[in-house]
Amino acid sequence: MGALDGKVAVVTGSGRGIGAGIAKLFAKEGAKVVVNDPGVNVDGSGGDAGPAQTVVNEIKSAGGEAVANTDSVAEAAGGENMIKQAVDAYGRIDILVNVAGILRDRMIFNMTQEEWDAVIAVHLKGHFNTVKPAAVLMRQQRNGRIINFSSTSGIIGNTGQFNYGAAKSAIAGLTRVLAKDLGRYGITSNAIAPGAATRMTQSVPDSARQLRSQAGIASNAAQPVQESQYVGLREPEMVAPMVAFLASDDAWNINGQVFNVAGGTVSLAHYPVAMRTVFKPGLWTMEELDDAVQNVLMKDINNPAPPRDDVEVPGRDVAARPLA
Amino acid sequence: MATPLEGRAYVVTGSGRGIGSEVAKLIGHLGGNVVVNDPGVNLDGSGSDAGPAAEIAKAINDEGIGKAVANMDTVATPEGGENMIKQAMDEWGRLDGVIHVAGILRDRMVFNMTEQEWDDVVAVHLTGFFNVVKPASIIMRQQRNGRIIGFSSGSGMNGNTGQANYGAAKAGITGGVRCAARDLGRYGVTANAICPGANTRMTQSVPDASRDLRARAGIGGAAPRQQSIVNQLRGPEMVAPMTVYLLTDQAWNVNGKCFYVNGGNVSLAHEETPYRTIAKAGMWDVDELRALVPSQLMQGTSNPAPPPADLDLPGRPVAKAE
Repeated sequence: MGALDGKVAVVTGSGRGIGAGIAKLFAKEGAKVVVNDPGVNVDGSGGDAGPAQTVVNEIKSAGGEAVANTDSVAEAAGGENMIKQAVDAYGRIDILVNVAGILRDRMIFNMTQEEWDAVIAVHLKGHFNTVKPAAVLMRQQRNGRIINFSSTSGIIGNTGQFNYGAAKSAIAGLTRVLAKDLGRYGITSNAIAPGAATRMTQSVPDSARQLRSQAGIASNAAQPVQESQYVGLREPEMVAPMVAFLASDDAWNINGQVFNVAGGTVSLAHYPVAMRTVFKPGLWTMEELDDAVQNVLMKDINNPAPPRDDVEVPGRDVAARPLA
Repeated sequence: MATPLEGRAYVVTGSGRGIGSEVAKLIGHLGGNVVVNDPGVNLDGSGSDAGPAAEIAKAINDEGIGKAVANMDTVATPEGGENMIKQAMDEWGRLDGVIHVAGILRDRMVFNMTEQEWDDVVAVHLTGFFNVVKPASIIMRQQRNGRIIGFSSGSGMNGNTGQANYGAAKAGITGGVRCAARDLGRYGVTANAICPGANTRMTQSVPDASRDLRARAGIGGAAPRQQSIVNQLRGPEMVAPMTVYLLTDQAWNVNGKCFYVNGGNVSLAHEETPYRTIAKAGMWDVDELRALVPSQLMQGTSNPAPPPADLDLPGRPVAKAE
């Protein structure tokens, strides 16, 4: 008796990494799975039917049910097609998990239009392309689960990932809207911000990690991948149990949330509500705002990337800060 | 009258009307020079009209403190974004800030939303942000100074029915701001986001009928707009001071943040960091999570759009369904 007995799921990007872990656990818990993966490189180039088929073979040899799909989520037709394949093969679609993603990291001032467009297309448009046809069917059957993949790069921020961070934060925003559009029809929508050692995180070069750590930009990325003591506790399949729980009937009332999942650590992310507020019954002046911002709103709040000491910053030496 | 922005140059997208126009006018009032960008489209992005941008530019020039020029380019194309940045450089030889306010609406429930409705909204809001930030960041990095302000929305941060395209794009702007802040902070550049609440042409477009429907369905707390006394304190000009404050030298160390500005309320948004955590030194079983997630992580949280009580829902305790 599995948690997902009789359910039908589509898992995008499930030929490798986190997606593969989800597809395999879903099958073990009794779900029939469409394993989608066009088998591209991390930057989205190329194509290989192997990864999706390999996962399908593993699921079948363990006694589960799965079919492979190599469509691209970046195309509306691709998204429709993989939902249709679930309906054709298994008669319904209960669970949609959007894991597929690519990376094209670059500092914003060097990022090309193509690098922006490609990442937005796969991550953000890719979510819409599968969610739209799935939502039509799930609404009719008055039941369904949508589980999207966001990232701390978007909801907290990361160097060199303007495209990826924007897309991933947008996915969190999309998830909160889906929760409201679809909740009344018995459908839940939630997002995962995963942490795992995968092909994608391996692609951040060690030299970039060292540069970042020397420049004091991202201390958490300072250690070379292979030396990280956390690798063994951050296997990609460790993200899968929380996804499987959210896909189960028991999670019927968990809706519109973002969960951080890394290894054995599962967190509910803070809703981006107001943290501190100042109020005036009328228009603020610059002087009043300076006081309110420096002494209330931003008191003891860090700048994630302060200007280097040798940069001449107007305002840095302003002595006349009231009350500061 | 102090003019803290004197001699500086700014690009404000979507500043022919509403919040954008108030931001542009306040920049001019405080001595700054402004490219007033607005193609003068309808709310859904159709049509065009040189009037709104020209009118605001004239108002700024008439006041005679800062100077302004009108620009009709669309932020939805890379050429348009580059062109309005170039116009500021051509006019004033510098670029001190870019404020991306431009936006359109194509509301639709997600199961009815067309690909075109999705693409158009993402193009103007989110790709529009990239289209101005990319060329601006090159200049700001070289001059070791600059301000980037993206306009996000409560729809993106908290979710709003019928706005999958808009909510995603707006949340995406916040994510872009957080990454730009980290890419550019060391060069003396800051990037921040504003989530405004204001009574504008855009919010007026939500029809009263749909407000009523939402209120009856318990979805959005929506009384018909004409009865709201709150809107009297929600003029678009109320959003301008905090936005412009972020442009001043005083705000040199405010970076990567999101502020809600709504009438006289100004709030720092909570970062989307972990709120509650459960941990196990190994892989969880689904059964363990079944016990711990509802009792630990989700305790006291609510479903923003719970299924109606008469819906037969597997997993829901039967007593609650009656």
